[in-house]
Amino acid sequence: MNMIWKTAWKNVWRNKIRSLVVISSVTIGIFAGVFSIALMNGMIAQRIYNVLDEEISHIQITAKDFRINNDPRLIIENRRETLSKIRAVNGIAAISERVFITGMANSAYKSAGVQIIGIDPESEKQVLGLYKKIIPGTGDYFEKESKFNLVLIGMELAKELNIYRYSVDSSAISRLKEKKLPENIINKLVPLIGKRFINEKQFIKKMNVVFSPGESKKYGLLIREEAGSLRKEARLMLTFLDSDNNQVGAVFRIAGLYNISNSVFEKSNVFVKNEDIKKLTGISDSSFHQLVVKLSDVDQIESIPAALAEKLPELEILSWKKIQPELAIMSDLVKQFYLVFGLIILAALSFGIINTMLMVVLERTRELGMLTAIGMNKRKVFSMIMLESVFLSLSGGVAGMIAGYFLISITAKTGINLSQYSEGFEALGYSSIVYPQITAGFFVIVTILIILTGVFSSIYPALKALKMNPVEAIRSE
Amino acid sequence: MKVIEINNVHKIYNETEIPVRAVDGVTLCFDEAEFAAIVGPSGSGKTTLLNLIGGLDSPTSGEILIDGINLSGLKSSELIDFRMMNIGFVFQAYNLIPVLTAKENVEFIMNLQKWSRKERDERTFELLKAVGLYERADSRPAKMSGGQQQRIAVARALASRPRFVLADEPTANLDSKSAATLLEIMEKLNHEEKITFIFSTHDARVVKMAHRVITLEDGKVVSDDVRE
Repeated sequence: MNMIWKTAWKNVWRNKIRSLVVISSVTIGIFAGVFSIALMNGMIAQRIYNVLDEEISHIQITAKDFRINNDPRLIIENRRETLSKIRAVNGIAAISERVFITGMANSAYKSAGVQIIGIDPESEKQVLGLYKKIIPGTGDYFEKESKFNLVLIGMELAKELNIYRYSVDSSAISRLKEKKLPENIINKLVPLIGKRFINEKQFIKKMNVVFSPGESKKYGLLIREEAGSLRKEARLMLTFLDSDNNQVGAVFRIAGLYNISNSVFEKSNVFVKNEDIKKLTGISDSSFHQLVVKLSDVDQIESIPAALAEKLPELEILSWKKIQPELAIMSDLVKQFYLVFGLIILAALSFGIINTMLMVVLERTRELGMLTAIGMNKRKVFSMIMLESVFLSLSGGVAGMIAGYFLISITAKTGINLSQYSEGFEALGYSSIVYPQITAGFFVIVTILIILTGVFSSIYPALKALKMNPVEAIRSE
Repeated sequence: MKVIEINNVHKIYNETEIPVRAVDGVTLCFDEAEFAAIVGPSGSGKTTLLNLIGGLDSPTSGEILIDGINLSGLKSSELIDFRMMNIGFVFQAYNLIPVLTAKENVEFIMNLQKWSRKERDERTFELLKAVGLYERADSRPAKMSGGQQQRIAVARALASRPRFVLADEPTANLDSKSAATLLEIMEKLNHEEKITFIFSTHDARVVKMAHRVITLEDGKVVSDDVRE
């Protein structure tokens, strides 16, 4: 090994405790930085995945201005021709036809404005994974045949309309026992057996009386999940305007409740079958408002919409990045944020390294003077100090990255449960169970930045060393 | 053959109100394989003169020629390279690199000069044998006595076969036995390697062994005795 490298490495361990303190601080800093970024990365990647898989898919096609005006008369009529043009483009995995109507959802207790989305359940399953998000015990994704009109609604809307009730019964207690709820907490629930709460607010109010704030925070969500149930044979009256602008109303039975990580979407979107809504609105069988397109490869999100726009100039073709520009911007901005965040951590660490290296130079004044005297040129003196600084930062950095990698590997499988804050997360559209994720390329970038930090941190101490007069340095104590 | 020529060299320090004439008009020559001592009381200018000869300091006036090359004409970087190639240094406080072994300290300059591994090993073991520390090749300086460290410093100074070795009070920190051993080794290497040794000293034992004794007082050469 080159003598300069060897000497620099040995010099790092000259004062073991001091070096270990610096290496430890770099380790902690890099570990915290890497893990925080993996956490944010995971949250954002999940958010994008969820939005694409549960809410909007990859591309949406509507008549021009439909999105702005939301006018039900702006329909796509040439069904066969339109679909064949779309299918002719390479990379299309699935297409689903939709009808969009704005209306009101009315329960016996409350009303709420909603977007009524008519779908063909089988086609919809090919483009979106919402069917996987049906809460067990509340129904299904239009699987069972019914003579009634059926509507699939979000959990949050069910709560809003007071058709989701809370009661602690023996089956809820046994489920909670299965989920290892502590005995003392279960005992506190016993007085609530047999009581019914017409909405979540009242149930939470009662729980806050029974439990301490800490217990409510820790077990409240689990208890609410197990105590909640859809009212038997719950139904809604959906009211809306038909194609002649006449108000129409119809009763819909609840097919099931869906629960995704976006409470706003849950509150405002209900799904019905195309055949039911078309009958009620008078929209012809061959017409629809929107086509939802799923791509075989999401990386083709720039090229396929352009190809579709060429073939269907009369329609509006929007990629997910245009439908949810804030998500697309966030996806790009966050990369810059990672860089700034990383640079702030490295800048903070570099001050510690600079300080240590200045002490090193001060302590070794005589030795550095001797080295210059015997013929070690400035470039080599500079290199030796720089290498010491790089070894210090890189040792800590590699240790931090390894620690970060292990924790990310574990939590990427188990997830980090932040369900205590699920309401806040879901209000923003984020899942409360976060799976951190990071790429190998990220570690390469971090390694390069750590090396650069080491180099940068060595400049001032090394320049001080180079300014030394060897005669004075050798004489120094 | 002249190795070093010092022509009317002055070194004046103006850091105090009254300028200090550390070296005052010194003219000297040193030939190949000389074993010379520079003696004189404290403050007489011995160390300053050695620093000037070694290119660690520059004269206020006059010139110092090493093999005909004027040190004042060299740029700072050239001077460092010149020292590496031509001059060996032995310091009073040994100044070995504490994190390196005896062997690594000796071969340090050879590494800087990019000698091959085989050449380095041969030369290092040759010198370690010469200074009687072959068995301690893998020891670090902290595990060695002062005398042993100074012998390693001598081996390091000779490693790259310099034109001459400058030793500033090499025995000042040594007991008499260690000092005697060191001097015998230095004299033997001077004889075997034909390398000029110039050392400043207060030590009567060193003076006794020197082939030439130059006495300085107030920066001036007051005597220059060559012994047979």
